[in-house]
Formats: sequence, structure tokens, C-alpha cells
Amino acid sequence: MTNRERAMNILHYKSVDRMPAVHFGYWCELLLEWAEQGKISMDLAKSWGDGNDADAELDKIIGWDFNWYRCRGARNGLSPSFETKILEILPDGTQRVQNSLGLIERIKPGIASIPSEDGYLLTDRKAFEELYLPKMQYFEERVKGLFDNFNETRPKDVPVGLHLGSVLGEVRNMLSVAGMSELMYDEDEDLLADIIDAYAEMQYKCAEAVLKTGAKFDFAHYWEDICFKNGPLLSPVKFEELCAKHYKKRNDLCKQYGIDIISLDCDGVTEKLLPTWFENGVNTMFPIEIGVWGDQFEPARKKFGKEMRGVGAMDKTALRKDKSAVDKELERIQRLVDLGGFIPCPDHRLMPGSKFELVQYYAEEVKKIKV
Amino acid sequence: MTLTEEISLFLQRGSVSKVKEKVELALSQGVSPTEILEHGLVGGMTVIGDKFKENEVFVPEVLLSARAMSAGIELLRPYLIKEGKKSKGTIVIGTVRGDLHEIGKRIVKIMMEGKGLTVIDLGTDVLPETFLQKAQEYHADVICCSSLLTTTMMEIKKVVEKRNKEGLQEKIKIMIGGAPITQEFCDKIGADYYTEDASSAADVALKICTENRNG
Repeated sequence: MTNRERAMNILHYKSVDRMPAVHFGYWCELLLEWAEQGKISMDLAKSWGDGNDADAELDKIIGWDFNWYRCRGARNGLSPSFETKILEILPDGTQRVQNSLGLIERIKPGIASIPSEDGYLLTDRKAFEELYLPKMQYFEERVKGLFDNFNETRPKDVPVGLHLGSVLGEVRNMLSVAGMSELMYDEDEDLLADIIDAYAEMQYKCAEAVLKTGAKFDFAHYWEDICFKNGPLLSPVKFEELCAKHYKKRNDLCKQYGIDIISLDCDGVTEKLLPTWFENGVNTMFPIEIGVWGDQFEPARKKFGKEMRGVGAMDKTALRKDKSAVDKELERIQRLVDLGGFIPCPDHRLMPGSKFELVQYYAEEVKKIKV
Repeated sequence: MTLTEEISLFLQRGSVSKVKEKVELALSQGVSPTEILEHGLVGGMTVIGDKFKENEVFVPEVLLSARAMSAGIELLRPYLIKEGKKSKGTIVIGTVRGDLHEIGKRIVKIMMEGKGLTVIDLGTDVLPETFLQKAQEYHADVICCSSLLTTTMMEIKKVVEKRNKEGLQEKIKIMIGGAPITQEFCDKIGADYYTEDASSAADVALKICTENRNG
């Protein structure tokens, strides 16, 4: 059996010979740490990216079967993007930077944390219509040339997903959480919805154009990240109002082309947004951040039944501890595997301090889990 | 409905213009600034905090209510100073060294201000010594450390160690929070308080300050 067959069979509740060892990549700092410890080469550490050659090389060294985040998609962002430029350098070295989405950020050189948000260009309808709307249009070059010979050249032994972009996550990234909040209650009450609609329509057309090329995918995938430790960043009612129709339209399209596994990446505690996703065609949650944020798989399975599948929910923090912590985690995830439709995967990027030998141990042991 | 009740309601709806209008009206009708603050602005923010805790309102509504509260306080400030109104306590808050996450800290700050506490925001990427230095400078009751990353959470321990080294355990309490933080971690590093959410953080901070000031 190939790993592609294993993964797809599990998500379709069919039998498999064994569990694939699936991961979700690494914090770059961890790879540098491992390189300094002599576990991997510095070249490998510096060249790693999801699904690239270095990723495949690391899979071999560690014993992973594949990285779930192996997706291909159209050029479905703002196009052309905004020019990234430094607006100001503050006395402590902090740079105020306008990024490619038009968001103003504070970046401190030498700090790996995400930047602080410090402003945004998308402040009103005029900015939307003049600066953003032209960048949210569909045109052929968004797809042209990207999927030539895709079916012949794509990896055959691992699942490959069609990246559908996002419905709200990327718009949130253009605005920051504060900006999204402002626009949600702006006097121009349709503005946020109009922005989301325009961006979603372009992403729909991109997905449609990719599928029309005849490219075959094992699953489709969204990135959102709109929840945090205590739940969603916005009201589930608002989320439903603004986003539900776009998920349905894109997911119906995927189903027309035979893609029946639609996964969605959202960090944080996702419970309150699950109804909108699942009632509109999403059926696989990823990465189910159980360790740091306390997200859960079992309650969602109880609520949505077998339509709720999962990839993730392995507490990655165990990989910083010891074998007994990993064994305990393997015991816990066995219960999730027993539910069916579930593939264990560390619940986010492996973080600095994760022990190389423990990661190898987990990758080996998870293959022995009872399926 | 009284004017302070109206202020509270408009604050809960996040309406800056209405809050300003009603605060001005209340002042012109001789309602005391303290009454407007306590029953109008703080009262409204307390409702928002409780609703946030119960997932009845979300981040956008909290941020907008905070904006309305700030607008109301700006109008009241000169009157409160004249009245000699004292703060209920002082908090020094920041995100620890190496971490630039802002939004969680901002919400905690909003909730604390909503309780009538004075909050000194040190921003992000704050050195352990800066927390201590500013806490002493502002005679703070509480240092509040936020960390959103598993890679930066151990920085909090350094703040605790610095505080202890200076023998300020009784005078300055340390509260901690953020995605990877747990009660277990709080106990392990010797911090004083951990809370799960912003609203609870404000409740605990107020309690500490009240106890501190009542001796």
C-alpha cells in the first residue's frame, strides 16, 4: 500500500495495512538547533519548506512518511501584491514595515515571533476599491503554466491537496484583528462583506480554473487560523453570515470534480465555528491543537458523527519530554484512531526543544499503532 | 433609564459618539464624574468582560467597547483629576522578551482598565529588568506578563527571579497568561497568579490591588 492509499483509506473508513507517520513540519529554529547538534546538515535545515526536496530528505532521516501540508494551488493571493517596504526604523532598531498585504507591522530584527500589527491600508471603501479590488481580480496568469503535466509529475505515493486559499483568514491578515473588528462595525456596514465576497470570488475562480486543467487531487485544503485559546476571534453568527456561502460554493465545486475530502487548517479552539464549516462541506479538521490550546477531536466526532474526520491532535509537546511522555501520547491517540477517519499528526509545527531521537521514536511507533 | 445606564448600554454597543454625547450630557446635568465612571463606563465594560468570558461577545465587540470607554474617560479625565479620584491600583503589563504578540495583552489591558485600574503598557519584547524597573517606578501592585510562544514562556521565570532577588514578593505580585501558560507552569516557576482569560485576569488584578490597598 502507498502512503497515499493509506491516508485516503483511513479518511474513507476503509482498511489499511498500517498507520502512516504524518507530520506538519518544523519551526525553523528547531531545524537549526538539530543542525547545531549535528543531527542534520545546516544546508538541510536552511532549505526546508513544506513538501520540498529538503522536506522529503528529512522524512527519510527521521522516518516520517509524509507532511500533510503538501498542497498545490493557484496564485490566489493579492496580485500584484503590495511592495514590501520599511516605513521607519525606530531608535531600538524596530522596523515599521508595510508588508505584501498592505498591513503595517513592527518587526524586531533577531526575533522569531510573528510581528506586531501596527496599522493597515484597507481602512475604508475608497481604499478597498482603489487599492485592493484591482488586486483581487481573476486573470489567466493566476493558473497558467502551474499545472502542466501535473498528473504525470505529481508524487504518486503521497496525498497531494488542492489549496483553496481561505475565506476569512487572508482578509484578516490584510486588516489585522483590530482592523477586522473596526470594519465589522463600520458605518459602511457592507464593506467587510464586500471585501470578503470579492476575495472569495477570485479564489473560487482560481480553484475552478485549476480543476478545469484536469489536475487530480486527493483532497482540498483551506487555511484559516481564526481561533485562539478561548475560541473564535469573531462571533460564530457573524462568521456564518459572512463566510458560509463561500465555503459551500467552493466545496460544491470540489465535489463536482470528485474531491470528497476537504480539510481546513485552523489553530486554536475551533468548536464554535465547526457548524459553519461542516454544514458547508468541510469534513476534515487539521491540526486540532490539543497540546498548547486545548482543542479536541472526540466531542466534535460525537456531534458531527463520521462526517467529522481529523488529521492532527497529537500533543507535540510530548516530543520535548521523554519516551514515557510519547508512549502516553501514543496510548491516548490510539483511542482517537479507534474512532476511524482519523490520522494522528503532531498538532502543529514541531517546536524548538523537540528531541531528535524522540521524534524518530514517535515516527517509528506511530506506524505500529493498531488500525 | 438613567444617564449612567444609557452610557453603559452605548459602551456595550461600542458607540463612541453616543458614549461621548451621554457623558457630556451627564456632566452638564451635574452627575458626578465618579458616578459616570463607575456606573456608566466601568459598569458597561464589566458587562462586556463577563459576556466575553461566557463567549457571548467576541474580540471585535471588546475592542469596540474599549474604544468607546477610552473616549468617555478622555472627557472625564480633567474632572476626575479635579475630584482627586484615586486609581484602584496600578498594573504594569507587557509581552515578554522575544515575543511580539500584542492582541491578547491588549484585551487584558482593556478589561483591567474597565475595572478602574491604571494600566502601564510596556508593549512587547519586554526585558525582565524593565518589568521590575517600571513596576517600582509606578508603584505597581501587579506585574502582568504575557507570552504566546512556547519558546518565550520561560522568560516569565526570569521576571519572577528578578522580583524575588529584590525581595519584592509581598509588594509586587506577578500574574501570567497566554496560550501556552497553565496553572501548572505558574506553580512551577513561582509566579503568583494564572488566569485562563482576560476577564478573570481583570477580576484577580482588582482583588490583589484591593487587598494591597486595604493593607
